[in-house]
Amino acid sequence: MGRKVKRRLINVVRFFILLFFLLLVVLPIYWMLVTSFKTNAEIVDAQQITYYPHVFTTENYQSLFNMLDYGVYLKNSIIVTLATAVFVVILSIFGGYGLARYKFRGKGTMLLYFLITQMIPSILVIIPMYIVYSNMGIINTRLSLFIFYAITNLPFCVITMRSFFERIPYSLEEAAWVDGCGRFQTLWKIVLPVMFPGIVAVFVFAFIGAWNELIAGTIFINTPDMWTIPVGLKSLIGKYNVQWGALMAGGILALLPTGIMFVFVQKYVVQGLTSGAVKE
Amino acid sequence: MNLKTKKKIMPYLFVLPVLILLLIMYGYPLVKSIIMSMQDYKLTSVGDVAFNHFENFKKMFSDTDFLLLLKNSLIYVVISVMVQFFLGLLLALCLKDKFRGRGIYQSIVFLPWAFSSFVVGLMFRWSFNGEYGVVNDILMKLGIIDENVAWLGTPGLSLAVVIIAMIWMGIPFFGIMILAALQSVPEDIYEAADIDGCGMFRKFFSLTLPYIKPTIIMTVLLRTIWIFNSFDLIVIITGGGPVNYSQTLPSYMYSKAFSSYDFGLASAFGVLLIVILGIYATLFLKLSNYEKAGDF
Repeated sequence: MGRKVKRRLINVVRFFILLFFLLLVVLPIYWMLVTSFKTNAEIVDAQQITYYPHVFTTENYQSLFNMLDYGVYLKNSIIVTLATAVFVVILSIFGGYGLARYKFRGKGTMLLYFLITQMIPSILVIIPMYIVYSNMGIINTRLSLFIFYAITNLPFCVITMRSFFERIPYSLEEAAWVDGCGRFQTLWKIVLPVMFPGIVAVFVFAFIGAWNELIAGTIFINTPDMWTIPVGLKSLIGKYNVQWGALMAGGILALLPTGIMFVFVQKYVVQGLTSGAVKE
Repeated sequence: MNLKTKKKIMPYLFVLPVLILLLIMYGYPLVKSIIMSMQDYKLTSVGDVAFNHFENFKKMFSDTDFLLLLKNSLIYVVISVMVQFFLGLLLALCLKDKFRGRGIYQSIVFLPWAFSSFVVGLMFRWSFNGEYGVVNDILMKLGIIDENVAWLGTPGLSLAVVIIAMIWMGIPFFGIMILAALQSVPEDIYEAADIDGCGMFRKFFSLTLPYIKPTIIMTVLLRTIWIFNSFDLIVIITGGGPVNYSQTLPSYMYSKAFSSYDFGLASAFGVLLIVILGIYATLFLKLSNYEKAGDF
């Protein structure tokens, strides 16, 4: 077999594999989207399942806003999520930098501890926290969620930030010191700008982690005025009947912010994780 | 303060905020739940908390469904992680070389990373619905099945749906991580291999794989831990049903903790999970010859 033929064959195989992955991702989302634009009668018609809305309607989206205080949930979600992401990014920059640039006693133990935190089931953290929160009187506040989301996202973000720092040549900083910059000044003026993709990536990780969380939300929060979007949507799942149209509409709306954000920053994520991104 | 001590405390200034926070916020719950696992601790009667020796553990191991839960957990973790890993690796390999529209393509295929398990769970629960589900309809049109399958109401199948949803969600994590690792492999080593006449598979197994091994070890380890402990998809898609056929140890623990408020028993389950994962992580890092333990 000639080299050229072989190359061609590989490309064809690759094309079909890529097509497979594209369909795998798109089809379930498509199904959700079309369901959200169908009338209820069309959704629960067992005789004929339709692959596009024969009667196009936005009633699911309307009923979503009528049944739920979607605006309130959106506000709560945005406040908690932004606070978490900003807090996590700042702490990750310091923690990640310290771990990447220094050797110190207890560093190995610290890294091991980070790994151990990942093994602790979330419920095991939630239960004692629930008791502490009750004693402190902060059950049913955004603060309770912020604390939980911050600590659950921190370990992975710090470690990721650290590997971003490790990919930036040390010589860059040394040059700045020679020019008389202090440690913090160097970090602020020289390293962080180069780190931009990495910082964006970590921000997105923390944002997605907090935005999407459901379980702690249902446990720490018990009045609708404090619900986040996932918790609010969950209330649509009744014991006996599920309002699929409204749920799918709500799902689409819940996916939009993180989905759009991800489309724009996806390349920074890969870039940030790729070593040798910054040439010496 | 002289320069030497200043230099010594410098690193701690950077890492201390994170460390203190994590020590308190994970350390306290960890210790507290180990204590609770040995107590009779029900939220319904908080007044009479008392040590009950190992009652909770006895109760846990003598639960008639214990072996089923253990089996389900293993199936769930092993299949999800393995399939996710291979599909993620395949995707990353296909994305390594530039092609037109790669940027947009990547944005779409990696999208599930940004999705919440809550919405993904709903999506799959709706698609696999027994009466109105699109999956049944497609399979029927393809002639694979003759009548509707009650996916979520059949033992075995309900867990399969959860696993499929989990795989769908997790491919991007491996895809992105492995793609980044692949792009870090220096080009010139491939050029050298080409000159030596190495084939595609030879190049993959003796050049690429050793290079990305640290990434593979780290991602598989983390993913296994995360999936083993995750139960939100189960809660949303099947609720553990029918009966306990799609229940895993963590999801069972969740239902014990927040339906019967038996925190003592739930903590006993939690301690068991940590022990299992601890053993797994130690063995995994030893067997994969990864010296930088904890360096994930």
